[in-house]
Amino acid sequence: MAPGLEADPCAKCEEMLQPYLDRDLTDAERAEAEVHLDGCSYCRKRYRFEAELRRFVRHAVSEEMPPDLKRKLADLRTPLF
Amino acid sequence: MGETTPEAEPRKLAEEARDRVRFEEEALELADQVYRVARRLVSTREEAEDLMQETYSRAFRAWRSYQPGTNLRAWLLRILTNLNIDRGRRQQRSPDMQPLEEGDYFLYNRLEEAGREPSIEQERVDERLSQDDVVSALSEVPHDFRDVILLVDIGDFSYADAAQILEIPIGTVMSRLHRGRRILKSQLAEQAVSA
Repeated sequence: MAPGLEADPCAKCEEMLQPYLDRDLTDAERAEAEVHLDGCSYCRKRYRFEAELRRFVRHAVSEEMPPDLKRKLADLRTPLF
Repeated sequence: MGETTPEAEPRKLAEEARDRVRFEEEALELADQVYRVARRLVSTREEAEDLMQETYSRAFRAWRSYQPGTNLRAWLLRILTNLNIDRGRRQQRSPDMQPLEEGDYFLYNRLEEAGREPSIEQERVDERLSQDDVVSALSEVPHDFRDVILLVDIGDFSYADAAQILEIPIGTVMSRLHRGRRILKSQLAEQAVSA
């Protein structure tokens, strides 16, 4: 480990949470995160929670388009004749 | 080379009509996905419906400026976000403020402190947060950050597409997304713990 590199590995793991779930880490960074996650239930719980939260947020804010709006949009098409 | 026969002009018109119809059909097929983003860009369902109609009306008029083979959904969203800015709807939303931004573990930690953490390993977000919590928290995220969350996390756009739609550098998309998610979680923590 490089000198002075993260005295608190959980703090570093927290910093890696978003890029980890976005698959935006290098192979080495990803491996480093996974080694820590394997041995740290504190961080593992929080990573699982984040992944679930993303799915939940997406579901919670998604609202189906009203059917009559679809018809109104179709009516905006240029008449063929 | 140039077609000068009397049949050429009607044929050209027929081809153009066919291309236009195809464009309109493809755009309409994407309407559900466009609406999902539009609905959360504005406050009310009525505003979202107006914005959708204005967007499709403009798109159908400007169909020739769409380059076939490029991302039509991103093209539609670019029209929609520009219209939203032009109409000043964005300003009607939450005022810009210095957003509260905590670390990525903050929400979990707050829920845990509030005694809402699950007793089992499996994380069940829906037992601790409601759909209303999320909608309300998202509406409190300043629009620059919210726009990026909506495009990437809700609309499934790539960073590059979001950058193109919002006309900002890709690095700005990434930093706003990162901060925006943290702000959203801070807002969720307030919603959930004060409930």
